[in-house]
Amino acid sequence: MDRLERLLDLLAALLDAERPLSREDLRSRIPGYPPDDASARRAFERDKDSLRAMGIPIEMLPLVAGDADAQIGYRVRREAYELPDPRLTADEVAALHLAVSTVDVAGAPDSDAAAALWKLGGSSERLEPPPATAGLPGSQHLPVLFAAAVERRRVRFGYGGVDRELEPHRLSCAKGRWYVSGRDLTRGASRVFRVDRLEGVPEATSGPGAFDRPAGAGTGAPPAPWLLGDRVVAEASILVDPDQAAWAVAQVGDGGSVVENRPDGSVVLRLPVANVAALRSFVLGFLDHAEILGPPALRSELVAWLGQVA
Amino acid sequence: MSEPERVPAAPPKRTTADDRLRRLLALIPWVASQDGPTVKEVCARFGCTERQLVADIELVFLCGVHPWTPDALIEAVVEDGRVWIRYADWFRRPLRLTPPEALALVARASALLAVPGTDPAGPLARGLAKLASVLGVAPGEAMDVELGPAEAGVLDIVRQGAAGHRQVKLDYYSFGRDSWSVRVVDPWRVFSEGGSWYVEGWCHQAADTRLFRVDRIRSASALGSTFTPPPAPTGSPTFSPRAEDPVVVLDLAPAAAWVATQYPNEGVEMEADGRTRVRLRISERAWLERLLLRLGPDAAVVEGPAALAGAGSMAATRLRRRYG
Repeated sequence: MDRLERLLDLLAALLDAERPLSREDLRSRIPGYPPDDASARRAFERDKDSLRAMGIPIEMLPLVAGDADAQIGYRVRREAYELPDPRLTADEVAALHLAVSTVDVAGAPDSDAAAALWKLGGSSERLEPPPATAGLPGSQHLPVLFAAAVERRRVRFGYGGVDRELEPHRLSCAKGRWYVSGRDLTRGASRVFRVDRLEGVPEATSGPGAFDRPAGAGTGAPPAPWLLGDRVVAEASILVDPDQAAWAVAQVGDGGSVVENRPDGSVVLRLPVANVAALRSFVLGFLDHAEILGPPALRSELVAWLGQVA
Repeated sequence: MSEPERVPAAPPKRTTADDRLRRLLALIPWVASQDGPTVKEVCARFGCTERQLVADIELVFLCGVHPWTPDALIEAVVEDGRVWIRYADWFRRPLRLTPPEALALVARASALLAVPGTDPAGPLARGLAKLASVLGVAPGEAMDVELGPAEAGVLDIVRQGAAGHRQVKLDYYSFGRDSWSVRVVDPWRVFSEGGSWYVEGWCHQAADTRLFRVDRIRSASALGSTFTPPPAPTGSPTFSPRAEDPVVVLDLAPAAAWVATQYPNEGVEMEADGRTRVRLRISERAWLERLLLRLGPDAAVVEGPAALAGAGSMAATRLRRRYG
C-alpha cells in the first residue's frame, strides 16, 4: 500500500477522532501498517513525525485523564488544524501569486511560498510581471520571530554575549537588513536587534497572547545613527549643496527635518544629535558638498577633526 | 487566456510522499468546494501535471476512515476532463499556514506593496490585509518592509524603459568619483536589493554593463530609441574589487579596526601594539577620501600608489575651506 495513502488515512482518523486514540486503536483502523508490532510501531512513529513536520498539530494526551503514566492517545483538533477562510477574491490571490514570483527572500525555499499559495486555493490567473523586482535578505530565524510577533509570544536569544528575553512587537526590513524590535525584558527597555546578529536559535518562552503590542508602534527599523545615544546633546544645522540635496533629504528620512529650501537648490537640515561621531560620519560622507552651520561647538569640533586627518 | 508565463514555484523535483501530501491537503478542500473544475485549471492552480493529478485522485478515492463503509470513504473521480471530490469532510479546510509559509507569503507581499506605484488599496493590499487577519494581526502590525529611497518619477521612467526596451538618459552622481555625468543607458532590469533600488543596464558612455543606484539619479528622461536586452541580466550590487585596482595599506587604531571586517580586503595583520594593518583595493579616489575623513586620527596610510597619495589630507583641506 502506498505510504501516502496510509498518511492520508491516518490524518483522516486523527481528525475524525472524538477522543484521543491509542497507537493500537489507530493501527487497527488504518490498513497498511506492517503486521509485526516493532515494525508497525516504527512505521507509525515515522508517519507521526512526517505529519508533525508539515505543521499538523497532533495532540498527545494520556488516555486516562490525570494519569501521566497512562497510555498516550493521539488526535488532531479541527480548530487547531483548519485554516480560517480568508475569503480572498481571485484578483487578490493572483496579486499574492505575483508577489511570490517577483520577490525573492534570500535562502527561503520557494516551496514554502508555493505551499502557502496552494492553501489559499492557488491561482490559475497569471498577471503580467511588474517591470521591477525586489530581493529581501533572509535568515533562518525569521519564521520563529514572525510567528512569535504575530502570536505575541516571548522569545529568548543571545545578543552581544547576553541572554535576552524579548516581547517581539514586529519584524522590520530596512536598509537591506531584518530587525526585530520590542520590549527587552532583560534590560527593561525598548530595543531593536539585528536579526543577522542573533546568537543561537531564538526560542519561544511563553504561550500566545503573553503581552500587548503597543498601538501605532510605526516601523521597528532602527533610528538614524546620529540618534543612537542616551540623550540629544545638540540640534545640528547642516547645509547641503544643490547637487546632493535630494539625496541628503532621502537619507535623513524621519531622523531630522528640512528647515530651509534655498533658492539655489541647497537645503538646510536640522538633526537632533545624540551621537556626535555618527553625525560627523554622516556629514563627511558628502565630502565638501555639505557643512555644519551650527551650533558653534559642533562646527569647531568638526574643524578640529579635519586637522587630524592624515 | 494566454498561456501561463511561469508555473508556480514547485517543491524540489523529487516529489516525496510528504510533498505530495502537502499539495493534496490543499487540493482536496479546494476541489471539493467547487463544482467539478477542469483538470487543466486544477493543474494550473496546484502546479502539477495532469498525470500527477490523476494519480493523486486515484489515491484519494481509496481513502477514508474506519469502518470503510461507503459513507466513510472519499469519492474522487476524473471524468470528461473535470475533477470531482465529495464526502471529504475531514479535509474540508486546508491546514493552517506554518510559520515559514506565513513568513514567505507576508514578507513577499509586503515587499511588493512597498514598490512605489503599487496601489495601496488594490488587490495586493486587500489580500495581504485578509491574510494578516487570518493570522490574527492588523495589516502591517507585525511586519514592515522598506525597499529603499527612490524618487517616484525617476523610478517610473527607468521601469517603463526596462519594460518597453526603451533607452533612457540619466543624470547620475558617481559616488566613487564624486562627479555628475549624463549618460545614455539601456535599462535591462530595475530591482531593489540590500535596501537600495538599482538599474542594471548597458551604459553607452562607459561602453560596458553598469549598475546605477536609483537614489543617485538626479533626473531621468525616456528616449525614443529602443534596444534589445540580453537574455538574463543578473548583476549583483555586491562590490567586488578588481585585480587592477591599486592596493592601499592602512594602519588602524583599535577604534577603526571595524574597517577590516566591514570591507572586502586583501589581508589583515594584527600589530603587537593593538593596531591593525589592512590591505584594501581602492577603485575610486572619493571612496578613499570618505573613509579617511571618517576615520580621522584613527587611520594612517602607510602604503599606496602615487595617484592616491595625500587623498585624506587634501580632502580635509578642501573641506576646511568651507569653514573659513
